[in-house]
Amino acid sequence: MAALRDQLVSFIAALRAAGVRISVAESIDAMNAVAAVGLERSRMHEAMAAALIKDEADRAIFDESFNRFFAAPRAARGEHPDHRGEQVSAGGGRGRPGEVPIALPRDDALASRRDEKSQPPPEAKPSKKTAAARGHDTGKEKDAERSHAARRESDRMSEREERRAADTRRESPAPGIDAARVARIRAIERTAFDKFSDLDYDEAREALAPLIRRFRIRLGRRLRLARSGRIDFRRTIRAAIQRGGALLDLNFRARRPRHVDLVILADISGSVRYAAQLMLELMAGARGCFRRVSSFVYVDHIAEADFEDGHLVMTPALDLYARSDFGRVLGELWDRRSGLLTRGTIVVIMGDARNNRLPARADLIREIARACRAVVWLNPEEPARWGTGDSAIKQYAREVKAVVPSRNLRELQAALAAIA
Amino acid sequence: MDVTREQISDGLKRARYVTNERVETAIFLALALEKPLLIEGPAGSGKTEVAKVLAEILHTELIRLQCYEGLDEARALYEWNYQKQLLRMQAGEQQGLRWEELSEHIFSREYLLERPLLKAITAPSRVVLLIDEIDKADEEFEAFLLELLSDFQVSVPELGTLKAHERPVVILTSNRARELSEALRRRCLHLFIDFPGTEQERKIIELKVPELDAKLAAEAARFVSAIRKLGLRKPPSIAETLDWARALVRLGVRELDTGAVRTALGVLLKHEDDRAKVESKASALAPRTR
Repeated sequence: MAALRDQLVSFIAALRAAGVRISVAESIDAMNAVAAVGLERSRMHEAMAAALIKDEADRAIFDESFNRFFAAPRAARGEHPDHRGEQVSAGGGRGRPGEVPIALPRDDALASRRDEKSQPPPEAKPSKKTAAARGHDTGKEKDAERSHAARRESDRMSEREERRAADTRRESPAPGIDAARVARIRAIERTAFDKFSDLDYDEAREALAPLIRRFRIRLGRRLRLARSGRIDFRRTIRAAIQRGGALLDLNFRARRPRHVDLVILADISGSVRYAAQLMLELMAGARGCFRRVSSFVYVDHIAEADFEDGHLVMTPALDLYARSDFGRVLGELWDRRSGLLTRGTIVVIMGDARNNRLPARADLIREIARACRAVVWLNPEEPARWGTGDSAIKQYAREVKAVVPSRNLRELQAALAAIA
Repeated sequence: MDVTREQISDGLKRARYVTNERVETAIFLALALEKPLLIEGPAGSGKTEVAKVLAEILHTELIRLQCYEGLDEARALYEWNYQKQLLRMQAGEQQGLRWEELSEHIFSREYLLERPLLKAITAPSRVVLLIDEIDKADEEFEAFLLELLSDFQVSVPELGTLKAHERPVVILTSNRARELSEALRRRCLHLFIDFPGTEQERKIIELKVPELDAKLAAEAARFVSAIRKLGLRKPPSIAETLDWARALVRLGVRELDTGAVRTALGVLLKHEDDRAKVESKASALAPRTR
């Protein structure tokens, strides 16, 4: 029994190493669960999944690791070798046909750990060290790894689609469409913008629809949950009737959207265009939460931006391959200030502030900041790289209210929600 | 708890709930470990049904708390019945009762409006508590729920602490309108129910709509699982599949050809664009005209 416990503990450790969050309480649950259902393989599999995996997106990792750790004793149980693969999938009625092992780096990490456990080699010490180092690395390079995983995942998706199209006759149980989608969204949310490919961008666009909805709900919810402000008489009186007319509970009127005008200024030059386009689309979806939203895009000039059927439309068209010139762009924005920049305006600038060593004109930012409520700068670059090379972000940072890193969709969302 | 796994799967079969090992194991564990079970999955995949069936298996009452935005403790846990208290006070005044006598009286269980959570706690025997669509409730409510789910006791200031005689079986469902907190996930067992596979859906149709010809049932199941893969705005749920199957019976459809598919499509699809999408592909999807 102790051996099994050790096996379970190292299995859980491997899951944690693969990025699944598991608490001590959950691992105890898993032990109890196994004790309750017994050692029959598929039952144990499902029992541990119920106790350990709280997000369907982690399920693939779990299934894969489980198969590594608790290999099916084919011959002993007289199972058909072909059935082994299905056993896992058929259980849920959502098996993923043609499931390919997940991201390789993780596999390697898992495998190395497991090998070490099962047969400690003579040079145990150094190998342990490397394993630890690797564990460290996986933590550090998680982002990079995730983006790899996302890319591989997307390859796999298309491959799977092809297979499905080619083999329509084969009746597979409906694959975990929802779960796979959730996993994809989660992966793409964490993919850094500077590692985006066109493929990733398409995926992110796809993932954006639920994000917009969530984002809007998040904004909307906060507005509705007013705890103070103007009293809603009708609801207060109605509540008071219950208490014989005593005004015990004051009900407040949900706050109307604050009178916020938003001016968005997004850099769409090569380096940050994905981030900028996704931001514009996200904000276009949440337009109802603000009084007025004006979007601009820029490279070396400024242009009005709009979204029509999910495509960015700009007037006039910009030369995407021109050299970014923030100074001139700020000047153009300043020229348009009448009617655009008021005390109620929040200016959101998205860009890496890499100015090709042209004049930064931070003084213009100061003027703009003085004319409106706040200027916030979203920088899709790694904070460590801010201010290096031709980046003028340090100069701008002195004048704006905040410079917020927004390296991936998740950070971008959080930053935008905080602004609004 | 004294329920074996076999009893669960027998019970599910008897309750005519078609399921798989994953669902059975999760339900069994929720009972065996006395832990809340969090069920996620697309709308209409039978999440709520699990709780109903479970109550049936255990021969006990199902107490349901439907969550919505703005749900608060007064609606979920308990509330004093102010009107009744007021009436009692007025009556008491006429009888010339003193305040001490009165207050003891009007803050008794008689004047307490029990909302679902309190009802589940004070129930004399074990009940099934279904907290439906927890993702619709606010985060504060979720935090409040955490406390309740960990020790199943409530303190009502005027009455003292009320503790559950027997821990209710708790089922939570979520449609993922928002992410639930890690803390809640940690305390629950987790089950993800997806739409059933073709084979499983065929079984469901045969069980629930026995009038439908077996061959037609298989075709209907295949058709539904095919259109679920089209990326519709609202893919048909199991309940809609069953409605559709019943509609096919009523319409006297013998063969599932393009025409038959078109006539009853409104039962299956609830959005105009979905309908247009499926109709344009109906000839490819309908099994008969292949």
